[in-house]
Amino acid sequence: MKKYLSTHIVVFLFISTAVLLQSCDKGFEDLNTNPDASGKINPEYVFSKAQIDAARNQAYGTPGTMQYTTTFNEVAGFGSKYIFLQGNAPYVVFNNGYVREINEMGEVIRAIKDDPELINELSAARIWRAYCFHLITDQYGDIPYSEAGAGYTKGIYKPKYDAQEDIYADMLKELEEAALSFDPSKKTFGNSDLLYGGNIDSWKKLSYSLMLRLGMRLTKVDANLAESWVKKAIAGGVITEDADIAAITSYSNGQDINKNPIANSWLSEDYIRANGRDNQEGGKYQKNFIDYLKANKDPRLGVISVVWVENGTGYKADTAFDLQKGMPSNFINKPADFGDYSEPNPNTMLKYEAPMLLVTNAETNLLLAEAAIRGWYTGNASDLFEKGTGAGLRQWSLYGSAGVIDQTKIDQYIAAHPFNESGSFEEKMDQIHTQLWVALFPNSMEAFSNWRRTGYPQLVPNVVPGNVTGGQIFRRMIYPPSEVNLNKEQLDIVIARQGPNTFLTRIWWDVETAK
Amino acid sequence: MKKNEPFGELFYRSLKKTLPIMRNAIILLFVGILQANAIDSYSQKTRLSLNFADTKLVTVLDNIESESDFFFLYNEKLLDTERKVDVTANNELINIILDDLFRDTDVKYTIIDHKIILAPESLTKTSETSKITEQQQIVVKGKVTSNTGESLPGVYVTIKGTTLGVNTDIEGNYSIQVPDDKSTLLFSFIGFAPQEVVVGNQNVINITLSESMLQITEVVVTALGIKREKKALPYSVSEVKGEEFTQAKENNIGTALVGKIAGVNATGLNTGPGGSSRIIIRGNGSLTGANQPLYVVNGMPIDNTTPGGSATTNGGAGNVDRGDGMAGINSDDIESISVLKGGTAAALYGSRAANGVILITTKKGVAQKGIGVEYNSTFTMETPSIFPDWQYEYGQGDLGRKPTTKSEAIGWGRRSWGAKIDGSDYIAADGLIHPYSAQKNNIKNFYQTAKNFTNTIAFNGGSEGLTYRFSLSDLNSSSVLPNSTYNRKTSNLNLNGKFGKFTVQALAQYTLEDAKNRPTAGDATGNPNWTALMIANTADIRWLSPGYDALNNEIPWNDADVATNGYFVVNKFQQKDTRNRFIGQASINYDIMENLSVKGVVSRDFYNYNYKFIVPTGTRYSVNGNYNALKTDVAETNSMVNINYKKDFGKSFNIVAMAGANSRTYEYLENSISGSQFIIPYFYSQTNLNTITPAVNNQKIETNSIFGSVDAGYKGMVYLTFTGRNDWFSTLSPKNNSIFYPSIGGSFLLSQAVELPETISFAKLRASWAQVGGATPDPYAINLTYSMTPSSGIPLQDVSKNSINNNTITNANLKPLTSTTAEFGMDLQFFDSKLRLDLTYYDRKTTNDIVTTAISLASGYNNVILNVGELKNKGIETLIGATLVKAGDFSWNTSYNLAYNKNNVVKLAEGLDQIQMATTVNNYAYINNIVGRPYGTIVGTRIQKDENGNTVYNQATGNPVATGLQVLGNGVAPLTMGLTNNFSYKNFSLDVLIDGKFGNKVFSMMEVYGTRMGLTKLTLPGRENGLELNGVLADGSPYTRTVSKENLRIYYDNFKSYSEVFLHDGSFVKLRQIILTYKIPVNNLSILKIQSASISLVGRNLAILYRKTKNFDPEQSYTNSSNQGFESFGLPRTRSYGLNLMVKF
Repeated sequence: MKKYLSTHIVVFLFISTAVLLQSCDKGFEDLNTNPDASGKINPEYVFSKAQIDAARNQAYGTPGTMQYTTTFNEVAGFGSKYIFLQGNAPYVVFNNGYVREINEMGEVIRAIKDDPELINELSAARIWRAYCFHLITDQYGDIPYSEAGAGYTKGIYKPKYDAQEDIYADMLKELEEAALSFDPSKKTFGNSDLLYGGNIDSWKKLSYSLMLRLGMRLTKVDANLAESWVKKAIAGGVITEDADIAAITSYSNGQDINKNPIANSWLSEDYIRANGRDNQEGGKYQKNFIDYLKANKDPRLGVISVVWVENGTGYKADTAFDLQKGMPSNFINKPADFGDYSEPNPNTMLKYEAPMLLVTNAETNLLLAEAAIRGWYTGNASDLFEKGTGAGLRQWSLYGSAGVIDQTKIDQYIAAHPFNESGSFEEKMDQIHTQLWVALFPNSMEAFSNWRRTGYPQLVPNVVPGNVTGGQIFRRMIYPPSEVNLNKEQLDIVIARQGPNTFLTRIWWDVETAK
Repeated sequence: MKKNEPFGELFYRSLKKTLPIMRNAIILLFVGILQANAIDSYSQKTRLSLNFADTKLVTVLDNIESESDFFFLYNEKLLDTERKVDVTANNELINIILDDLFRDTDVKYTIIDHKIILAPESLTKTSETSKITEQQQIVVKGKVTSNTGESLPGVYVTIKGTTLGVNTDIEGNYSIQVPDDKSTLLFSFIGFAPQEVVVGNQNVINITLSESMLQITEVVVTALGIKREKKALPYSVSEVKGEEFTQAKENNIGTALVGKIAGVNATGLNTGPGGSSRIIIRGNGSLTGANQPLYVVNGMPIDNTTPGGSATTNGGAGNVDRGDGMAGINSDDIESISVLKGGTAAALYGSRAANGVILITTKKGVAQKGIGVEYNSTFTMETPSIFPDWQYEYGQGDLGRKPTTKSEAIGWGRRSWGAKIDGSDYIAADGLIHPYSAQKNNIKNFYQTAKNFTNTIAFNGGSEGLTYRFSLSDLNSSSVLPNSTYNRKTSNLNLNGKFGKFTVQALAQYTLEDAKNRPTAGDATGNPNWTALMIANTADIRWLSPGYDALNNEIPWNDADVATNGYFVVNKFQQKDTRNRFIGQASINYDIMENLSVKGVVSRDFYNYNYKFIVPTGTRYSVNGNYNALKTDVAETNSMVNINYKKDFGKSFNIVAMAGANSRTYEYLENSISGSQFIIPYFYSQTNLNTITPAVNNQKIETNSIFGSVDAGYKGMVYLTFTGRNDWFSTLSPKNNSIFYPSIGGSFLLSQAVELPETISFAKLRASWAQVGGATPDPYAINLTYSMTPSSGIPLQDVSKNSINNNTITNANLKPLTSTTAEFGMDLQFFDSKLRLDLTYYDRKTTNDIVTTAISLASGYNNVILNVGELKNKGIETLIGATLVKAGDFSWNTSYNLAYNKNNVVKLAEGLDQIQMATTVNNYAYINNIVGRPYGTIVGTRIQKDENGNTVYNQATGNPVATGLQVLGNGVAPLTMGLTNNFSYKNFSLDVLIDGKFGNKVFSMMEVYGTRMGLTKLTLPGRENGLELNGVLADGSPYTRTVSKENLRIYYDNFKSYSEVFLHDGSFVKLRQIILTYKIPVNNLSILKIQSASISLVGRNLAILYRKTKNFDPEQSYTNSSNQGFESFGLPRTRSYGLNLMVKF
């Protein structure tokens, strides 16, 4: 009996070992499939994500550099004081842009490019990718472009930097081709398109408006090239109605990603206490901005700005015109009257559900006005200026009831600021682009690019001890240190071509004097 | 080997340890070792319980050897080992048992410490001298005794150079005929140092043989829990007895290993009482994979993960060390810890062995009448021991002046850029007038005295068929950080049974860990240490207490809200975690026949972990608060079956063979939520959040394995070991998911084989080679995936951004890395084994390393996983042990271990010369792996100098130019050492452990900020009249400028751009541990049935004897991740001291 048992156990063991051997990797593939992630892309969902991501990637911007805002705090004062003590402010657009929207757009296009039925989606995707790239190249100059986002698809871990000249050529080509490729009979991204709900006509206008924006960027470096693209853009049809404004809608509650990114970051960084006194990072509107609005009796002032006044038990946001006061940008300690300075209006600027305006009717009309005075467009510069100015006032109604400005006030403002028909070209440029500076607010990234190109508005730099630019306004942002660490060879090439990786090196289209 | 060596004649019965699982008598014999004090001789403190009926004597002796440290010496020809005996003993001393065994025989025994010599009284001298002619004969007589006075029977006395010899009789007497007076007599006896004497004109030669210290039968636990003779091992194994952990306790067993074992680089973290440890054996072996060893309890792997992952190098609030698996092991349950250092030792563990294995054997029960009770109680206190060497010449303020208003005092709360400290009045951040005087005790005032109170009670007993040990332990610790506590309750049950041919063992351990407010390290947010270290030097930190106002909102103390008021963190932040852990094991062994047995084991280590972290309403950097919660279920399950076979071929050759299979499943299921903004202020519930974002991290891994080994021994002189293992991994590409790991090793006992000079009492050579795998990737690393992003609107999908492979490029061709180790070593003993030397050289090469490397973000991803890395570790390990004094009641033993590991990153991915592992807050320094450099190189900037050593200035900024990123030093110490001294005199013993590490660098974030804030002495020049700078511009032209004292802060603030300024040599020597024990004489207390009792004064981390870091402890580590080399506002290092009481009933 004992022996019998022993034999059985031995036999059993051999059999079970053999069975085990045969099935040593059985079921492994199922086991090694992530239960919480899909192996398949939903291009429309990724496209939505890329739209939000690109919008979010401008929230950081340089509102201080464009002298909209400031703070007494050194670290947060990076933009307005040109002090760079710590943090990621000069790098965020690069760091976020590639791993989010650039990679996402690459995946979207990879998924849909071979299906002719999806031509409209592909066209929108190409336009959006150009939009995403222009945000980055305008910040840094030469950037990885042709090899960007190819880590998975091509195994490129150290992408080369393309010359901005080539990047612009390709972005403009993409916009043109994409705008011409739409086919009304085919499907669109539909509701997944947070800008236009899949409306093809609006996408075409956006594409040509971006062409107008990018074409205009080239006026200093290559006026002829600029002219040809601007003309092409106008011929194609740019945004000329409020209804075609490119804006991302947001939600008041739920996930942070769905909130207005500027409101979300400003609130969490500075203004959540809503008393004008305990702003965590010491943020306020800058004196230059508020002074300009006040001097021009701009009805936007009370829409944009409030002063928190003591109100018995608490504080009340007061939009009264006379009360508004911008903070000088050279404070390095909290001033005793900190509470008296203007800051964002919680009912417009700080609303989570406020839309994020990306390309506006105001901008296109003002750029068309410039095209007109350059003789590149037959439209009437004065009319275009008025249209642009009016659109810049009207667009605040998108922020909700607190943003609505009476048409009479708009008309009064327009009447009080007639286009300087008799002025010199530079005077007209000053007028157009100072108006655009106000109209672009809070889109400081575009304002920064437009200022570098045109020199308007005429900003007087702040000089604060410890700044990294010798008291000059930035001409670009600097490449992140991770590139020094991880992509040095390519970075060395670009530094040799473009100049040192500093805030004052001028990028390709920002040549010192117009050609 | 010479045939006439006496060892051939005297069969030395050693522990031919094979597989304990094969031994059929384990259950019948139990040993309780009441090893309370080293002074007692082993035989007087060792009690055995056994029960044999009609059993061969040899079996009984065998089992006494296997279950105790005794070993028997006898001449096999003269002792009838086949005699059947009956013996019953219940917790008896060995002499009682031996009396019983040899009653009515003529066998006499002699006990010399661990040795028991057996010889028949009738033993007489042999007569092999007949070949010598009459006229040549000189008769020499004498007596051989041990150095402790016992007569030695059976000593072999030979004439050197001949085969002629005799044995001593039972009284130790001998008589031998030698050819002439030039003959040399050689006295040999196992366990004693041999002696030679030239006959000369002597007729009587009495010899005293000294006991050899050689622990020739030392048995250690090896892979899969197999006990083997140390002398047979072809590799280096280090064993530490459980006693070493029970007196001067560390809450984490890993931390307790610091300095004890050559080649084991152990570090305890300064993260409070529930913190982790980090152990690296023979260097970091994988570039980005895990580098800590596998932990095994009683032969089966357990989990050592840190739930939610290790603390990062640069995180802010909630960047805490949540404690690793080792934190849950109770040191009082440990019988011994064996460290398998290299691949060769650990090869049977296959893919998990690459980083070595730490084997923990827990205590078992002893069959006895009634219940044996052990009680161990330790109470210790801890205080901060290292204080920064700040400047106390210029006080709080800026621009060279002190604050004049409350608002200014708050704005300058962490700025010591003020006026000369003069004791005058000033307004501080609390709005009150205080003297403008140096406040040097902020650390002492902010932190408290920590208390640790550990109590363990263990019961053991049982009958012949079934024994048990059950222990309960409670550990109660408070941190030096107020309101931070850690409590651990452990229960451990160990059952052993023998039913016929079946042997069963069951182990159950339940641990409940409860931690409150673990300290944050890294960035300033929510980090209480930040306030204590950075508060201006004329401000008393207690002025900031309690840190909140009447509405429970944080009171500001400085200009940056991210630098949270430390008192607010301590009083209002809430952090709580609990871990319920169950480790269960059950095994059945069945003896199929005498030489063949089969064993099955199932084990499961399971825990669930709940963590909650609340940043309260009113926190300045997050006004409406934050909420983070983490829930983790982790299970490591192993099922193993193996067949064991052993066979002796005659007396000189034996083999042990084993074959088995194992299936491992590992599950890590994590659900976390992060929420923000409490809707109703001050109400901290998950239901009360404006935004909640959930995340999941579910990982399942399966590894199936078959393995086998053959051990062969020849005459106790040559041993060979072969092992093989094949693993199949679920996490790898189906194309490459299987890999075979071989190992081979041999040891050769030189002192058995050839005659060595007298000074050498033992010599062994060993060599081994093994290939193992490791660093198998996380699951789901082979396919690109798309995951949903929580969205309140339109669905959003992300690319490769799930929580497991966060934004990492996957790799469809992954295979495991290979770690190939060659090891050579020798064990030498000199001067009657009073001096012992172990030397090991190893060469470990990792190829196909799975490298998760950061890549240019412009690639669209943060990281990529590649199978390309190559890494080398070479090193030597030395262990020197010596008995310096052994005289009467006094003894002094010393042991010194020294290890040097040379690590070299040979290859990263194609075209990659370095990968980034970690950065500090704000990227002030990096830890990179760089080709041609050791693992974990600290990288940063330096101040640019021209060829003449002049500082190069940037004209625009007026600051020195920073170089690009350069190599600054190693983050991991290559040289480690430990020195243990043990003194004993009568009832007193004193243990002193000194250890040190050398050759690494530490980058200090605290000094970066201390300089920016004007606290370091570095910032003193220029305080009075401004600072004149002299140097050159980039073009070589001279440059001078004067920094006004008003601008001094901005100037020194910019020093953060030069990493080298804050980099220091991390070498140290520490007085790690002192234990002074008094063994209470218990004979007078017999009424209380106390068997033994001792009381000890214990101290840990008592002093730093050598260091180069002025402002912090060089061991200021706050993460158990692979990224070592940064100091960043962790909890201060502490010294601990207290009392330990051990009583046995």
